Amino acid sequence: MSELPPEDDPEMQAAQPSRTPGPNIQVNAEGKRDDEWSQCLQVIAQERDRAAFGRLFKHFAPLVKAFAMSGSPLAASHADELVQEVMLKVWQKADGYNPRKAAASTWIYTIARNCRTDMYRRLQKFDTPLAAEDIWVEQEEEEPFVAVQQRRNAARVREMLTQLPQEQAQILAKVYMEGKSHSEVAEDLQLPLGTVKSRVRLAMQKLQIMTDQR
Amino acid sequence: MVTHHPDTRLLNEFASGSLPLAQSVAISVHLHFCDHCKRQVKALQDMGAQMFDTLEPAEVDDSLLDSVLNHLDDEAPLTYQSKASDVDSDESPVLVQRLMNGDYQDLQWSRINKALQIARLRTGDPKHEFALYHIKAGGSIPLHTHKGTELTLVLEGSFSDEEGVYQQGDFLMRDAEDQHTPTASKTADCICIGVLDAPIRFKPWNYRLLNPFLQLQAS
Repeated sequence: MSELPPEDDPEMQAAQPSRTPGPNIQVNAEGKRDDEWSQCLQVIAQERDRAAFGRLFKHFAPLVKAFAMSGSPLAASHADELVQEVMLKVWQKADGYNPRKAAASTWIYTIARNCRTDMYRRLQKFDTPLAAEDIWVEQEEEEPFVAVQQRRNAARVREMLTQLPQEQAQILAKVYMEGKSHSEVAEDLQLPLGTVKSRVRLAMQKLQIMTDQR
Repeated sequence: MVTHHPDTRLLNEFASGSLPLAQSVAISVHLHFCDHCKRQVKALQDMGAQMFDTLEPAEVDDSLLDSVLNHLDDEAPLTYQSKASDVDSDESPVLVQRLMNGDYQDLQWSRINKALQIARLRTGDPKHEFALYHIKAGGSIPLHTHKGTELTLVLEGSFSDEEGVYQQGDFLMRDAEDQHTPTASKTADCICIGVLDAPIRFKPWNYRLLNPFLQLQAS
């Protein structure tokens, strides 16, 4: 099975040799680190364990705050409020966390993204009947086989992300952490929109996401 | 089977939360029908989580933990989170039902011509029009142009235009310069979601008088 169509782009070729070193090792290494927080979340859900929550808070609250502060200045000025909101949601929704579906950090990241989006809309006085949770609907349970495959893909995406050229990683960071649209990123970096789009596409190819889409 | 998907930019902006609300709804409804894009969005979220995980941690005051601990026993606000409903069921996606506050027949449809009716739905997005288009079997949407982009998602039936055939769940994006004449299949009515970032303009002059978006613009 061929992984990627042949590409003339030198960046792509440079990335090729590094991409197949034992995917199992990556999964295990990644899985182990994640398991600690997965287990912690499950203890919080089942035993309503405040000490476990405290540990989780110490690790994730500073990340949530950093995420809040990288967003729009409007949301950044409410960073502490966002941290409280996100961590409280983590406590309240912990029993909905399913370790087979997502890594702990993915689950917490999506809550932070939802809260930041809702907060931004609230601060701008959007009058909307929808919350972020209505739009990013949690998906139904996948077949166990698919779930395993997805965990493996997640580990691969994480691994490959660290190997992206800086100019691509920088754009993805602006999109995901700063919450900017592609045109805003283009404006920020004084690049043509087409360049931003094509760098994102190159990054997607390397991460093997949407390889068959425009 | 879904064969037309959102492009890389749209899915990335959707997954990261930077896509405007009305457009995000259209993508979310596409995901309801499309397992392929659902998996892509999942992968993109894993990517986002990886970046989140490697952020430089910001200093959090201890008082914040105390304050959160004090609120742990507060009753969680009631949420009615929509679950992804079964694609095979006859019902429209939960998200659309919620915006409609009921079903298709409960909406206020404006009649544009014999073949086309439009119902505008409120998403709260101040910069985008979100509407349902009901095209009678065999009928067409008049030739039109628009500023900005137009996103279309097929909810029921199918339609075709100069470039292809679109079935339930198919997603397409048209830019301002594209002029097209979507025509519903002869066998069934077609209902689509249309998201516009500027009021639509129909070519023949007489439609302008009937165009609900132009009235909205004036109000």
